[in-house]
Amino acid sequence: MELRFTADEEAFRSAARRWLEQNVPREKRPEIGDIRARRVYDMTWQRRMYDAGWAGINWPKEYGGRGATLMEQLVWYEEYARVGAPDVNTGFVGLKHAGPTLIACGSEEQKKFHLPKILAGDVVWCQGFSEPNAGSDLANLQTRAVVDGDDLVVTGQKIWTSFGQIAEWQELLVRTDPNAPKHKGITWVICPMGLPGMDVRPIKTLAGNQDFCEVFYDGVRVPLANVVGKVNDGWRVAMATLSFERGTAFMSEQVRLARHLDELIEVAGRVPGPSGRARAIDDDEIVRRLARAKAEVEAMRAMTYRSLSLAARTSMPGAEASMIRLFFSELIQRIDALAMEIIGQPGIASFAPDGSSHDPWGERYLTGLSQTIGGGTKEIQRNIIGERALGLPR
Amino acid sequence: MDLTLSADQEAVRDAIRDVLREHASSERLRDVIGSPEGFDARIWRTAAELGWLGLSLPETAGGAGYGLPEAMILFVELGRTLAPGPWLGTVLAAEVAGAGASANGRLAPLLAGRERIAIVDDPVDRLGSGKVLTGEVSGVIDGGGATAFLVLGSREVRWVAAAGVDVTSSHCIDPTRRMARARFERATADVLAGHAARLRARGTVLAAAEASGVAERAVEMSVEYAKVREQFGRPIGSFQAIKHRCADMAVRAEVARSAVTYAAVALDEGADDAALYVHVAKSLATDAALANTTDGIQNHGGIGYTWEADPHLYLKRARLLEHVFGTRTEHLDAIAAPWRDAR
Repeated sequence: MELRFTADEEAFRSAARRWLEQNVPREKRPEIGDIRARRVYDMTWQRRMYDAGWAGINWPKEYGGRGATLMEQLVWYEEYARVGAPDVNTGFVGLKHAGPTLIACGSEEQKKFHLPKILAGDVVWCQGFSEPNAGSDLANLQTRAVVDGDDLVVTGQKIWTSFGQIAEWQELLVRTDPNAPKHKGITWVICPMGLPGMDVRPIKTLAGNQDFCEVFYDGVRVPLANVVGKVNDGWRVAMATLSFERGTAFMSEQVRLARHLDELIEVAGRVPGPSGRARAIDDDEIVRRLARAKAEVEAMRAMTYRSLSLAARTSMPGAEASMIRLFFSELIQRIDALAMEIIGQPGIASFAPDGSSHDPWGERYLTGLSQTIGGGTKEIQRNIIGERALGLPR
Repeated sequence: MDLTLSADQEAVRDAIRDVLREHASSERLRDVIGSPEGFDARIWRTAAELGWLGLSLPETAGGAGYGLPEAMILFVELGRTLAPGPWLGTVLAAEVAGAGASANGRLAPLLAGRERIAIVDDPVDRLGSGKVLTGEVSGVIDGGGATAFLVLGSREVRWVAAAGVDVTSSHCIDPTRRMARARFERATADVLAGHAARLRARGTVLAAAEASGVAERAVEMSVEYAKVREQFGRPIGSFQAIKHRCADMAVRAEVARSAVTYAAVALDEGADDAALYVHVAKSLATDAALANTTDGIQNHGGIGYTWEADPHLYLKRARLLEHVFGTRTEHLDAIAAPWRDAR
């Protein structure tokens, strides 16, 4: 066991730090409500990384990625978050989900066409997985696709499609065999957005933003050539995505949380505390909750290090990934809620007519509520831990 | 960077685990509980023979040549089995007993298991400093059968032979261990070459390791039980109320184990954040041990409430460990201390 990084990894760290410090965007990201402006901001930053050879840190070199080792990825994400570089936001589905899926399961043609565009920030992808009746029970999805000539003809509805209104492409799961067992009759297909028969309607979230949509399909014709993997093999393709990241992408979110907590500790030393205390930090309960949060943030880093060390050896993510995910999502909510208490009345006073907060803590508090829902609810995470890691019966 | 056990470390763990399976079984624990001393000479002898008491000592000093991470592995296993004995005091004493002019051939008998050392943690020097100690301390774990006391002051580490101390042993919440009140009346001490703060940090990590072992084993016991215990025609582990609680327990154990591992390696390497991680490890591992053992009793239902079943022994060890080298609250306050002082 050791904590030290190798000389090569430290050299990589210096190079990453130097580049990031010089290139990280100085201007603020546009307000949460303006998704189109956010896209421009995110894609400009993505392009800058791409031009300098830092985009797709874990993607293979042959597809334009950096091809970094697992430890270099960890170092990159640590440095990335340390300088406060913007989170991936509108680039998320392409960079963290669809791209990795194509790398794992796509044809050479699909890879050559799509991967460079994703890396260069030319395109935005969205996800078409969840449906009104297929949330936690994703394999229950009912959107139908029938093979007709060279096309799949899609009819149905998707929901919680993040960035659906600005995306060029969608990773779409459809049911191609309604008679097969539910995990068997699913197909993963690349769907161009804006095809005839498609209708995209934004959904406003409780945080006032309209990042996600519902998408309706009425006889939408998608070329069969866009199927990734084989027809009816989509569940395996969807699962392959998960094995790609191996927990490193999550690292930047963690370092960012650590930075926010340090900021909050500083805020607590400035703002008045309860019951006439000069500073919030003078209150024993507040300071211990902050200390506890600090301990948990540090422990999460240790847990990630441990999980990554394991991944570096076994190349498959263990159940630790679900544990980190669950722990992180609840921790971020505890810290957000504590921030609202420390900031006090000003924290609830600064909101726009569309319901979004002008204050970063207010925004984090509200958007953070999705942490234990999106990408598998905390209940689903507990099922995964209980069943896959502990072997408890279903 | 690698926080997984190396093949060699896995072998160390497996060897320890094999021995403890036999020597620290539930039946043997029950014998210790019924004994006046709260001590099992057979485990102790075996441990000494196998070199456990000097795991982190250089081979030139008669140790096994490992470091704090391997000692951590030992204490995790001790926590998993609740193996009774003055482990912490003796292992820490071995780290300092051999050094300096006052060594006096003290180390060899220590490593051979002929000494049993209890710790007196005295960070504010209530017992004074230097070669003479005066004062009374209560709650000295394993103090009853101790042959000597290792007194950790603000700076000094001192060795006081039990012969010069008035010791009253009594039972405590953990029936596998005994506590003592120790009265020092101008007791003479040898001042050892070690630094108290360094030893306290190492001891804190080892206590945290033991707590993380307790937390880990509590998860396994609950899971094993939830798989076989049936109600309403199904194993209770299929109910989400139980399954999700077990998942939470597993997360706590993983958090604890990660923090403890990081702390042990950081201290060993002299990393900048080592001091912080000592507090992180102790507060979160104790927390995991207490929460998991409490949940463990609940998961076992009526059986969990009996003396006969083991879950309560784990809870009680967790309670004991809370008071070894600082409570959770004290460690949280230590984490926060720089924030308040800075202003």
